[in-house]
Amino acid sequence: MKVFGEFIKGLWRENPTFRIMLGLCPTLAVSTSVENAIGMGSAAAFVLVGSNIFISLVRKIIPDKVRIPCFIVIIATFVTIVELMMKAYAPLLSRSLGIYVPLIVVNCIVLGRAEAFSSKEPVFKSILDALGMGLGFTWALVMIASIRELLGSGSLLGFTISKHFEPPLFMILAPGALLTIGLLIGMFNHFIARSRSRKTDG
Amino acid sequence: MDSISAYISIIISTVFINNFILSRFLGLCPFIGVSKSTGPAVSMGIAVTFVTTMASILTWTIYEFVLIPFGLEYLRTLTFILVIASFVQFAEIVIQKKSPALYRVLGIYLALITTNCAVFGVAVLNIDMFFLHGKPLAGSFLKSVVQGFGAGAGFTLAMLLMSGIRERLEFAEVPRCMKDAPITFIVASLMSLAFLGFSGFKI
Amino acid sequence: MSQLLKFGLILCAICLAATLVLAVTYQVTKPKIEEQLRREEREALETILPEADSFTEKSVDGLDYYEALKGGELKGYCVKVTGSGYNGFIRMIVGVNPAGVIEGVEVLEQQETPGLGADINKIKPGEKDPWFLRQFKGKDAATLEVKKNIDAITGATISSRAVTDAVRKTITEFLAKVKR
Repeated sequence: MKVFGEFIKGLWRENPTFRIMLGLCPTLAVSTSVENAIGMGSAAAFVLVGSNIFISLVRKIIPDKVRIPCFIVIIATFVTIVELMMKAYAPLLSRSLGIYVPLIVVNCIVLGRAEAFSSKEPVFKSILDALGMGLGFTWALVMIASIRELLGSGSLLGFTISKHFEPPLFMILAPGALLTIGLLIGMFNHFIARSRSRKTDG
Repeated sequence: MDSISAYISIIISTVFINNFILSRFLGLCPFIGVSKSTGPAVSMGIAVTFVTTMASILTWTIYEFVLIPFGLEYLRTLTFILVIASFVQFAEIVIQKKSPALYRVLGIYLALITTNCAVFGVAVLNIDMFFLHGKPLAGSFLKSVVQGFGAGAGFTLAMLLMSGIRERLEFAEVPRCMKDAPITFIVASLMSLAFLGFSGFKI
Repeated sequence: MSQLLKFGLILCAICLAATLVLAVTYQVTKPKIEEQLRREEREALETILPEADSFTEKSVDGLDYYEALKGGELKGYCVKVTGSGYNGFIRMIVGVNPAGVIEGVEVLEQQETPGLGADINKIKPGEKDPWFLRQFKGKDAATLEVKKNIDAITGATISSRAVTDAVRKTITEFLAKVKR
């Protein structure tokens, strides 16, 4: 049960996007459509799992002083693998994500998990942690993207919802992304504060 | 095409029209994290501008003279991040030795820059914009450097504006759940909306 | 000093291993990536000139193009055109008949802003092809100009102009060269 907690924490309590607020650049940039969000989320999750496994495996060989460069090399390798795979098997997705695929390498979530978790913990726990974080990142992305796509282009996953709705372009452009995430984080803060105060009252 | 106006238009484009933070979302983490007061925000901006400019020079050179001749374009991500990380480390050591005063101002920010999307982003963007079919376009090197500088300048501008607003926001009555990060995003959204007014300009 | 050497060696070993892994991945994915690019181009060619039965790749003075034939008779040319858009290059294939009339424009790759410039490729609900690119069809390449005979996309004048100017310039240049 305790091991399972490593998986669950990424989804809610330590959600990378809404709680720790890491890796925001891709979150906002690619959340213009749900399709992009799913693509980006799974790419990041793959890199997270791959690098977490590897770093956890070699954590005892790598001297403390050179660990950051080593982590970066391992992460960059997985990012490039994703980049090449995506170009080969999902060219359209690779086009619409553009430079944000290589940018996973500087996504603070990945290096953050390497530093805070997988460099200290055994492989199995690291995998669960990575899966939880990856999934937490993906659902946060999908949530932001659904709001933006629905309001900004009047569609969901590419299917037009209503022909009579003139979508405000604003939502799909940069300001809409910042507004959505600001309000969502506020909402999360509100819910978590409320559940906390309830616990202390009871 | 290669007159001075081409370079000026790159600067204006990266600072105002395609501002790195407000329209490309690159460098958002420090934008939210370090923009509480004007002093540190500007220091961070200067440190980023220095690194984006230098990183543009270094990565362009390596891409043109090492990766392309050996057909190693697929190692771009790996090489660029290593080059940027080593350069930041190197700069930190040099500044610490040569100018402790400057180090006190910029030091901690330099350490944060390695994983700053803006630096890596501008390096990749230079390659995407100024190389066509594996060949550099005319003036590609200078344009990359100018774009690197412009990216940093745009970052600094956004940081400066945001920190000015946030200093006053401290005294505003914001709902408790919206304090700090959420309200910063809302303010950033309004700033981004204002910057959208620049779009459509091309000089 | 020996510690420094050890650190260096470990780093080198990791870099070497990483390069090796990537080299293998690259070799595996390379044919697939090239095949994808070829397929995209082929699909674009077939949409532009569906009546042609063979396309032969040629190049004149650095301009790459396809000659579209039907039973040995020249139907038109499909030229690779690159425009400089808002955020980078816009790669297109433009079909033109020997008289200089545009047969069709297909965008292969673009990085324009979603919601604005990216709408050069937008297909309105209930329609088959992007309305912006459809405007080019049947017009003389040399006369193409935004606001004159091409309507720009709202809020994305630069992307619209980038496409239009690139098509006009490259095609006029190409026709002059190929006729020589």
